Amino acid sequence: MTRRFLVPAVFVLGAVLAACGGQNKAAPEPVSATPPPAEAAAAPGPQDEAPLVKASVTLYFPSATGDALAAETREIVDTKRPADRGAQILAALLEGPKTEGALPAFPQDTTLRQLWVRDDGNAYADFSEEFMSGATGGSADEILTVYAVVNSLTENIPDIRRVGILVAGRERATFGHLDLSRPLPPDLTLAAKAKATE
Amino acid sequence: MRIVRPLVFALTIGTAAFAAEPIAVKVATDTSGASTRVVLTFAKKVACAVAEDPGHVKIACDAAIVASPGSGTLDDAILKSFGAEGDRTIVLATGRGYKSVDTFELKNPTRLVIDLQGARTAKVAPAPAAAKRALPVIVLDPGHGGVEVGAIGPAGLQEKDLTLDLSRRLKVLLERQGVTVVLTRDEDRVLPLDDRTAIANHNRAILFISIHLNASKRKSALGAETYFLATAATDAEARTLAGLENKAYEAPDAAAMPATPATAPDHGLELILWDLAQNSFLVESSRLAEAIQTELNTATGVRDRGVRQAPFRVLMGATMPAILIEAGFISNPEEEARFKDDAYKDKVVEAIARAVASITARP
Repeated sequence: MTRRFLVPAVFVLGAVLAACGGQNKAAPEPVSATPPPAEAAAAPGPQDEAPLVKASVTLYFPSATGDALAAETREIVDTKRPADRGAQILAALLEGPKTEGALPAFPQDTTLRQLWVRDDGNAYADFSEEFMSGATGGSADEILTVYAVVNSLTENIPDIRRVGILVAGRERATFGHLDLSRPLPPDLTLAAKAKATE
Repeated sequence: MRIVRPLVFALTIGTAAFAAEPIAVKVATDTSGASTRVVLTFAKKVACAVAEDPGHVKIACDAAIVASPGSGTLDDAILKSFGAEGDRTIVLATGRGYKSVDTFELKNPTRLVIDLQGARTAKVAPAPAAAKRALPVIVLDPGHGGVEVGAIGPAGLQEKDLTLDLSRRLKVLLERQGVTVVLTRDEDRVLPLDDRTAIANHNRAILFISIHLNASKRKSALGAETYFLATAATDAEARTLAGLENKAYEAPDAAAMPATPATAPDHGLELILWDLAQNSFLVESSRLAEAIQTELNTATGVRDRGVRQAPFRVLMGATMPAILIEAGFISNPEEEARFKDDAYKDKVVEAIARAVASITARP
């Protein structure tokens, strides 16, 4: 119930911030994946007046059943800027799951190079080469890796409606099977399957 | 004037058409095959007659329509241009290469597919024996190939070899049903995803079936699934580009809306529309996927992972029902072993062939 109320509030705040930064609307906002969230908290940005306030977010990892996404709740620093929030969420995803029943979303040694959030609701996440080179080649793993990213970002950040994926700074037409030429909306059926199997 | 197709096209509007708003019609053309194909996608059902005139093919509808794009010019010997005549007729200006017209209709959404037969020189290599071929064509796509091996099983089975093996077996069975089967590759070589779809379009296939084997980090993952295209990624774009967005739904305060649509400005309009070609065939694709998945489950007793949707690149540009089969997990040692057995492979392709027969036999 509380979350339902919070979502529009965050959205309004996001809209206000977006309106403040009106003049560089078209320019994407790069945010470095490093430093990790703890350091981000220690060195608060100008807009974060209470940087130590925590917010809980829902992360999606590939389920151990191999055909769905499993939800895991995490705490992040309650930053309001979508790109900051997104970078923290992806950092937590890259850290890996902490519960049984969930598997790592990414091949080993994958890192986030950058995350941009644009005003049109599209976010672009740029991962290191390992994102692709370490994959098994199966569409099942491809789908779970991609939608772990897309669903985790869109569920927790109302300003993000679609997520585009880049690898090593370059756009890719596909991830083997999946089309990566345009930003993807979340696939909510993957989470629904997880709940059904629990 | 020769009436090719009298008023047979979904007669539901009748006299009520008068006061109604014009019906939106999306016009798409495809010159990649031996014939030139025009697909009209109607926002609502409407009765239309197709008639042939010297130099023209006319589609006259029994209600006001508004085409999008309203007109266009093509670099094609069969179809030179299209445009509107009055508010009920779409006119196709045929070129020197034009010979005859065939039409068929599809439902949900209402579509009229117009194939302009003829000859064109040099522009594209003709499909093998396309003009003479009387039998419908099914294109089978063995996934991966060449250095692009796909998934590899723990005992060394490579996806690219198994997809080709299964496709060749399936070809034999399907050809017994009275269809011509074209394989996108019949050897071990790299073939880009877009080329695979183009082969199906070029051959005017009635079905496109891409065959794959799955893999997972979780070694115990097993089972078969059948995919058709997920279009959530592209629906808004499709509607925007097709001009089908209902103006009444636009926000009253235009200033509050983003100045430009979210579509990527670096892509050409044509490219985006081509990417969306499969959107018109999703109902038929889902039906084919259901039929195949049901047969696979019954015949093989494999774990049913169901019919699913995903934005698979290889399905996006297909102008016919198109599906992708993940026949099993070769990362799973037991399934990998099963796929080394001829009897099992035959069982799998027999199941697919039965499903295809149930779809193509439909009146």
